[in-house]
Amino acid sequence: MKLLEYEAKRVFAEYGIPVPKGVVIRAPEEVAAHLPDLGDGVVLKAQVDVGGRGKAGGVLFADAKTAVETARELFSREIKGVPVGEILVEERLPIEHEYYVSIAVDRSSRQPVVLFADAGGVEIEKMAEEDESAVRRVIVSPLLSDIPPFLMRELLGGAPKELAPVINSLYHVFQGKDAMLAEINPLVTTARGVYAADAKLIVDDNALARQGITVNRDLSEREREAEKHGFSYVELDGSIGVIGNGAGLTMSTLDLIEFYNGRAANFLDVGGGADQERVMHAVKLVASMPGVNVIVVNLLGGITRCDEVAKGIIAAGVAPTVIVRMAGTNEEEGRRLLAECGYRMLDSMDTAVKAAMEVSP
Amino acid sequence: MIYGDKNLGVIVQNITGRQGTFHTELMNAYAREVGGRGVVAGVAPGKAGREVHGVPVYNTVREALAEHEATASVVFVPAGAAGDAVMEAAHAGIELAVVITEHIPVHDAMSAIAYAKLHDCTVIGPNCPGLLSPGECKLGIMPAHLARRGNVGVVSRSGTLTYEVVDELTRAGIGQSTVVGIGGDPVIGQTFVDVLARFEEDPHTKAVVVIGEVGGNLEEEGVRSTDLPVVTYIAGVSAPPEKRMGHAGAIIEGGEGDARSKVSRLRALEIPVASRPSEIPKLIREVL
Repeated sequence: MKLLEYEAKRVFAEYGIPVPKGVVIRAPEEVAAHLPDLGDGVVLKAQVDVGGRGKAGGVLFADAKTAVETARELFSREIKGVPVGEILVEERLPIEHEYYVSIAVDRSSRQPVVLFADAGGVEIEKMAEEDESAVRRVIVSPLLSDIPPFLMRELLGGAPKELAPVINSLYHVFQGKDAMLAEINPLVTTARGVYAADAKLIVDDNALARQGITVNRDLSEREREAEKHGFSYVELDGSIGVIGNGAGLTMSTLDLIEFYNGRAANFLDVGGGADQERVMHAVKLVASMPGVNVIVVNLLGGITRCDEVAKGIIAAGVAPTVIVRMAGTNEEEGRRLLAECGYRMLDSMDTAVKAAMEVSP
Repeated sequence: MIYGDKNLGVIVQNITGRQGTFHTELMNAYAREVGGRGVVAGVAPGKAGREVHGVPVYNTVREALAEHEATASVVFVPAGAAGDAVMEAAHAGIELAVVITEHIPVHDAMSAIAYAKLHDCTVIGPNCPGLLSPGECKLGIMPAHLARRGNVGVVSRSGTLTYEVVDELTRAGIGQSTVVGIGGDPVIGQTFVDVLARFEEDPHTKAVVVIGEVGGNLEEEGVRSTDLPVVTYIAGVSAPPEKRMGHAGAIIEGGEGDARSKVSRLRALEIPVASRPSEIPKLIREVL
């Protein structure tokens, strides 16, 4: 789950990373009371979860006289279609130089990777594309609690040594907060010291509970409802509902519908070890979306038992036609139960998808 | 076959859990069928002295290994404790840990895999179905009846999609040497590169099916690393961008991780890419 900038900055501050003085406001007038504290020049930053916020008009500069009016203007905007509910108002830093630093999970080495660039405030992907040497990277063993000095020297190159403790603190954030990504762009030097001018923090969805986060904001309400049952659920715009077990098989079923020029309405991954009750909820949820007139259930048993699945489908008893393709653990029993209740059970994914297309071309 | 044969001794961690119990029985049914050793002991802290389908239970991996000869462990420990379980296994001398558990925090996976490496323990998974060498051994939860012994290796990030492909191959009369599910998480122990290197050393494997998904670029890395004939299939070409597609690994990360650009990069390397699973047997015949 992605944290908003001000939430990430609060975390950074807890870990000793200097951040600009700032306040979060929810109405334009609120800014006035904080101006004496923030100084004459301020930056107003829309707290919306969109990429390229600055270019999209989500960051405005103001002084004491124009701050309220500027805040009003920013609250009235939509940033890439997202309304502005909160604004972070910060002191304007006397920036000398901007750097880039981030820590992420490197899939290839299975370890944290730290990226650093001597130029910040720009899109790092573009910078790396134009000049690969512009972005330095070091891999840090996850068994270490600090970035070793020799790796820090390699990372910084000629950049000021004052950045090192901040980058090491960012590594502590990365480890302590179960981060998938911790980024400061730009990391700035000023006459008063080093600051994180911006902050990005994405927390591992599998670690939200131990991080004390109870609601995953990245999910829509319906997806959240699905998540309560342990499903992944996504809505599209066709007429065929798709239920699978496992992300790969579910995606593959979706791909096959597209291959045969059909359109999926939605898809739901029941996950591993789906029991009768969860399958029933899954079928009901997929069927409840308006416009779904046929559902393809494509399940291969491993950790999932086919007899449980069959009972769940029968218990759901939904209006749209349900076409079933199952194979795996306790398959024969599942097949028998479905046949008894008049459900079509097909032998392959291709035939099941084709059968669904006949119902809903 | 790779990673082990019928002489492989196996323990199950969290053998007393629902899935651990259920799949211990299936693994041992398979071992009996092929004349293998199968699961010789189980571990569940605080439950020493019990038996699960005739398999003795111990409190720790160390205690289990003191009484039984085993080099592999299948881990069914719940997400919050699974990283610790892998480290325990590695520390006690287990050489191969197959981690079935899903939803393990990625930082736990990174630490456990790094720690296991220090102890020369190979980790497959997490969030994987394990491996199956038809006629030899089964570690994990793959439905064994779909597979048939042969000379095609299968390596996949997916679980159920792997069964689909194995089913297609078997129906087409193409047997498998070993089927390995490496797991769908962003951080996994054995990647395509590692498994393909093992297949390359295996005299029984003549070609490999690589099954990938949206997210990352490990498929390409693997395919580039091997001289074996390879056929690929990538799930998720119709996946809408910026959507979570089921498990943590299957998040489209804009650009390199999306399925369409993966497919075109593989085709650029002149690697056959199946447009649907049922096309795989035909493509395999062409490269064999």
